[in-house]
Amino acid sequence: MTAARKLKRWYVIHTWSSLICTAFLLLICVTGLPLVFRDEINQWLQPHQYQALPADTPMANLDRVAQASRAMYPGQLIASMFIDDDEPQIMVWMVPSFEQMRADPDVMHAIRFDARTAQVLETEGDAAARRKTFIDIMLALHRDLFLDLPGELFMGLMAVLFVLAIVSGVLLYGPFMKKLPFGTVRAERSARVKWLDLHNMLGIVVLAWTLVVGLTGVMNELSTPLFALWQRTDVQTLLASYRGRSVPEQGSLPSVQAAFDTAQRAVPGMRLTSAVFPGNPFGSPYHYLFWSEGDSSLTSRLLTPVLVDANSGQLSAVVGMPWYLRALEVSRPLHFGDYGGMPLKILWALLDLITIVILGSGLYLWIARRRHQSARLARIVTAHEQQAAAGVLR
Amino acid sequence: MSRPETTRRGGRIWGVPTILAVLTVWGLLSALLGDRLLWKVIAWIALLIPVVVAAWCSLRRRRA
Repeated sequence: MTAARKLKRWYVIHTWSSLICTAFLLLICVTGLPLVFRDEINQWLQPHQYQALPADTPMANLDRVAQASRAMYPGQLIASMFIDDDEPQIMVWMVPSFEQMRADPDVMHAIRFDARTAQVLETEGDAAARRKTFIDIMLALHRDLFLDLPGELFMGLMAVLFVLAIVSGVLLYGPFMKKLPFGTVRAERSARVKWLDLHNMLGIVVLAWTLVVGLTGVMNELSTPLFALWQRTDVQTLLASYRGRSVPEQGSLPSVQAAFDTAQRAVPGMRLTSAVFPGNPFGSPYHYLFWSEGDSSLTSRLLTPVLVDANSGQLSAVVGMPWYLRALEVSRPLHFGDYGGMPLKILWALLDLITIVILGSGLYLWIARRRHQSARLARIVTAHEQQAAAGVLR
Repeated sequence: MSRPETTRRGGRIWGVPTILAVLTVWGLLSALLGDRLLWKVIAWIALLIPVVVAAWCSLRRRRA
């Protein structure tokens, strides 16, 4: 294939991959902007206030939290507990039954406790009763267009097209810049030329960032299938030896606090962030599952599950995570930009704004080029008609 | 065309974009792998450079 034909092919790929994804990418970039500051916005819209207690006040006994939760909703089951590390709060998620939760996870509802005093701070209804916050809406538009898994896969596909548009754009950049020094913006020429130069310059300057955020975006959209894969393979293997054993009822479970302490001893130096109760579809029928995390910038993103037998209260396993879930975990901070303080968030927002300009100018260039071409075509047609008319007169 | 000339042209086209890409990746990893404030500051500076280059190239002609 000649160089010119190769170039033409990449041009067609660049045009169509970007045209298909542009509208969705613009939506993703616009909704991504507030999501960068989600913690700050949530705290501003719904400020959480806590009783002032010494910083070293120990965590309340989890059995007390469990007891209080069951007393508030007799007959219901605790699905999981989430122990926050940013705020002194424990969220307890409850369900009418695990069968109902399996059919529709939206039946979950939460009680918010003060992590030190075990005082109830707030109760939340299930998803139907809960009012969606601003950030919930932005996240749904950003991630799945309110369509759950099909929406996630669709937006993932749009991100794949975005990556394809970036790669093809880079391949076009070289030939285009043969005669121009870096960063040239020919503002004195037509608007189309000026925006073409801006599009190329901005695209190449933020290339590495858009590529990283695009690829990690694809990865994040695959999190549901990746976790399902893990559940169907490694987790099944792990639970195979327990099959046929009696499944403990929630009423006869060993102490969650004792199980928590057992898990903590198995992973000293790590922080346990949540307890998934036996029977929860996202856990094990035979175990308490505790998620633990490290304390450094990187290891706080790498979660390790610890299983504690729900019959004996003994430690069962510290589970190693497969490479694809580790890759997913590393993808999260690199997509969210939430791992370098406020300055990094501001940079993320600026880079996001630049991406919006690249997308917008790309769309403009396509429209302007079509208009340019149809104007040229119109001129040729007119010239032809004039010639023909002249021929008739002659 | 002689080889050195090709290389020189490649350098002219890809020099700055390569430096900016390396800076970006360096910044992204520095904040992720480093826990000390110094690593975060290095990340902020590394990522600020492409943003400044983008702004400078976009705005400089307007003044003229």
